[in-house]
Amino acid sequence: MTAKPAGAEVAHANLNRKFGMWLFLSSELLIFAGLIGAFVLTRRNIFQNGLEWWEPNTFSLALVSVNTFILLASSLMVVLGIEAIRADQQQKLQRYLTLTAILGVMFLSGQAVEYSLLIFEEGHSFADPFGSAFFTLTGIHGLHVFVGVIWCLMTLLVARRGTFSSRNYTTVEIFGLYWHFVDLIWVIIFTVVYLTN
Amino acid sequence: MARQPDHSLAHRRHTNPVLVFGILTIATILEVVVTLFHLPKNILVPILMAIAFVKAGLVAAYYMHLRYEHWIYTAIFITPALFAVFLIFILVA
Repeated sequence: MTAKPAGAEVAHANLNRKFGMWLFLSSELLIFAGLIGAFVLTRRNIFQNGLEWWEPNTFSLALVSVNTFILLASSLMVVLGIEAIRADQQQKLQRYLTLTAILGVMFLSGQAVEYSLLIFEEGHSFADPFGSAFFTLTGIHGLHVFVGVIWCLMTLLVARRGTFSSRNYTTVEIFGLYWHFVDLIWVIIFTVVYLTN
Repeated sequence: MARQPDHSLAHRRHTNPVLVFGILTIATILEVVVTLFHLPKNILVPILMAIAFVKAGLVAAYYMHLRYEHWIYTAIFITPALFAVFLIFILVA
């Protein structure tokens, strides 16, 4: 058997990692489709039974719009970070990853403010039909953002060791795929949950 | 020879990500503005969903680089996405 050159093996391993990530994301897509479907069904049943459903007020719509902007901006930071490492600009990659993590934390803080308003001012809980559908969907998305922030910080730690270069950045790319996916799901959640009420 | 989907395409010229971000931001503002017109729900919902799917498509194509990658990644992602869209449309309709 002829041995493959080391570079070819690494390239093959990188392809497998990316392929695996895409498979993972496609399964995640179906999980969120189920959650969004459950939210829409719950809302429809509430309307059909003439019960009261939550409608976002001006403040909460403004808050969630700013949060959407923050998540979109964080995705841009990841893209710019990958472009930077493709050009062997390690400092820039670290800067963009730091900004991504900060924006992720800002998004989670906005979500915490929104939850506290819904729970303590509007009196919603996991027990009411709106609360169970809303908190489950947005909470699981928020959990994904939290995991993304941790992953971003771990990628940043590796980047600080100077591991990545224009020839070795698949790890950053795979993190980027996850982060963009979380952004993509939020785009749909923002429309379905907040705008089509 | 098999096409290499990974780094062989990595240095292909990509669309300016700041431009994509600008379009995504404008589309988000447009979505919020459309809701202020209090259109009938059967008109409003398809408009909003169309804008949302265009935004999601932009993120997948340009930020996740599906436009520049091997078609197999698109196939892996699009197949469940079609099921997801079908499910949501069935429930919304």
